[in-house]
Amino acid sequence: MSSNDRGRTRIRGAAMWLLLLELRTPLITLIITYSISVLGLVLIPGMTPEGTTYHLSFLDAFYVVSYTATTIGFGETPHPFTSEQKLWMLVVMYSTVISWLYAIGSVLSVISDPAFRRLRAHQRAVNRIASQKLPFWIVCGFGGAGSQLIRFLDQSNIRCVMIDSNQARADVAKLSDLTYELDHLVGDVAEPQTLVDAGVQSALCRGVLVLTDQDQVNLTVATNTRILAPRVPVYARSGTDANTRNLRSFDTEVVIDPFRVAARSVTQLIRKPCAFALYHELVDPDLNHIDVVEMPAEGHWVICADGRLADTVVEAFQRDDIPFCLVSNQAPKDKRSVTWVQGLGTEARTLRAADIAQAAGILAGTNDDGDNLSILLTAQAENPQLITIARRNKPTSEPVFGRGHFTYVLREGRMIAQEMYARITTPVLHQFLGQLESMPEALVEGIIQKLQTRLGDQRPELSHFDLVLDSQNAPGVLPFVNTARTPKLGDLLIDPGFGYPAMPLICLLLVRLNGDLVPFPGDGLLLAEGDRLLFWGAMGSHHRLQFLVQREDLFEAVLAERHRVYSQ
Amino acid sequence: MNTQRVWFAFFIVLALTLNFGFFVGEIDNPHHHNPYEFFLALIVSLIATVLKVGDRSHLGAVLLATSLVADFQLIAAAVIWGYASQVTGEVSVAVLASVVSLAGGAMLANLTSVILLIAETIQLKR
Repeated sequence: MSSNDRGRTRIRGAAMWLLLLELRTPLITLIITYSISVLGLVLIPGMTPEGTTYHLSFLDAFYVVSYTATTIGFGETPHPFTSEQKLWMLVVMYSTVISWLYAIGSVLSVISDPAFRRLRAHQRAVNRIASQKLPFWIVCGFGGAGSQLIRFLDQSNIRCVMIDSNQARADVAKLSDLTYELDHLVGDVAEPQTLVDAGVQSALCRGVLVLTDQDQVNLTVATNTRILAPRVPVYARSGTDANTRNLRSFDTEVVIDPFRVAARSVTQLIRKPCAFALYHELVDPDLNHIDVVEMPAEGHWVICADGRLADTVVEAFQRDDIPFCLVSNQAPKDKRSVTWVQGLGTEARTLRAADIAQAAGILAGTNDDGDNLSILLTAQAENPQLITIARRNKPTSEPVFGRGHFTYVLREGRMIAQEMYARITTPVLHQFLGQLESMPEALVEGIIQKLQTRLGDQRPELSHFDLVLDSQNAPGVLPFVNTARTPKLGDLLIDPGFGYPAMPLICLLLVRLNGDLVPFPGDGLLLAEGDRLLFWGAMGSHHRLQFLVQREDLFEAVLAERHRVYSQ
Repeated sequence: MNTQRVWFAFFIVLALTLNFGFFVGEIDNPHHHNPYEFFLALIVSLIATVLKVGDRSHLGAVLLATSLVADFQLIAAAVIWGYASQVTGEVSVAVLASVVSLAGGAMLANLTSVILLIAETIQLKR
């Protein structure tokens, strides 16, 4: 531990030491020229106007040399100089002025050196991270996923520290619009020292999010973190199954494979559009409304994809028993069970071969944005009723995909950010999403309808939040728990305002203190101390609910009102 | 033989010897304390300080600290002396005594420096 600390202080002082080392020669030159000049002026006799000889004192000599070296030139003091003194002054002028400029020039060249500036910026960032007072997550890689995730987390008041090897991206990070100042390090994340500088060993570090698009780098960061800070969880992106297995082999907490996420999203959209809509509203802070896509009951899907996306999507479609036709240049792995048309899909001829006119939808998932757009435009011309799913590869293509009127756009960075966000913000959300996977579609539709009836004809922006029934978060509710008037879940969903209207909220999940899960609990469920609840509804309504559970008198009034309504 | 090491040792030892030369003699006798020797001691001490900068080992840090102490003492002595001779106009016995005692303190710092240098040299393995 002590060797680590020393390493850190060394790095911290490095810029200052570099400056001093560079200035050694200029400083010695300056001292020597000054001392020779001063000594000469003191030794050479001068003449007063009265004709007596005198010697300059050290103070006078140092004064004269100082203003000469700095080219200020106040003149000859204390008396006009004699010819000998003038001769010496000529030497003084040229030698001290040159050595002075040399010293100043050296300082300026060191300070303006890009390497020196980078070192200083790095040190400042390291110092800021070391003096950090709030918990933070380390995000490795400021690509599409990294920038999106940092923004998502900021909306939940979670801070991040960013590492990227690219200076240009770090400059972009500096401009990102966050509620706090994002600390960013420019360096190779695969190097352990970079992780240490980013504060992985700090007690405030909540986890490391490895999002670079190189599997090998992600693997290295995960192993480094395991050894440097065993208690810090690692959430990693993985592009291949082999890499996923490798990461899991040393207990990496979360491994997210964007291709598998994409395949799961697509099949969820087709088979369970309500669950898909609810899922995406919950995991994406940018998506604040719920739009259920109406899926045609019949028709097959045309999948234009190659490489790994084709493999994972074909696998998922087969598992969910969705009829499809694969359009790709490479033959699929399992030729017998897959309907396959060779071609790119950008031409109408290939799409007709895949029977586009009878199809329910099309997925354009090649790794070229131009091809994907071309496929979708051609397909829409052939069959305007198609459900369209586009894959966006480069974040720079967003303007066209955003305006393209596609049913769903697969954005790799955003999918990774959503998956990680869902796991980081609140544990209840992730537990609910786990339940959602296996929930029947009819039940999810019921949840959405229940919220719609509570909202009435209003269409507010939606959000979710959690509430823990403990003495700190719900002091108004606890006194009634385990008494004759034990509150029910429905009592929390009443606005304490005039007329006791219903709150525009529903409860998605209740987690008991012992870990029991009650998904989509009914209004009559009795509450207990330590319950953790996930609410979903109109944005901003959590202020009302928190207000209610904080105040015992308000909650008592709500209970009395409930009792009155029931007894009538 | 390393030229840099020669200059390094040269200036550190020279700082001590010049400092000693100025310091010896009766503390209040102006004839025993040469101002030129004092000037040279100050300059050499400054150069030694700059030479010590940049060595980031623990010993290097202590060496730099002793040099900074010597500089501080000598500059304080120079200011007192200069003020007395230029502003007050008279270098009294008390002033000279304090200049010399400050230089004596600087000499101790320089002596520490030299001892550290010797210790390091003896430890050095071929």
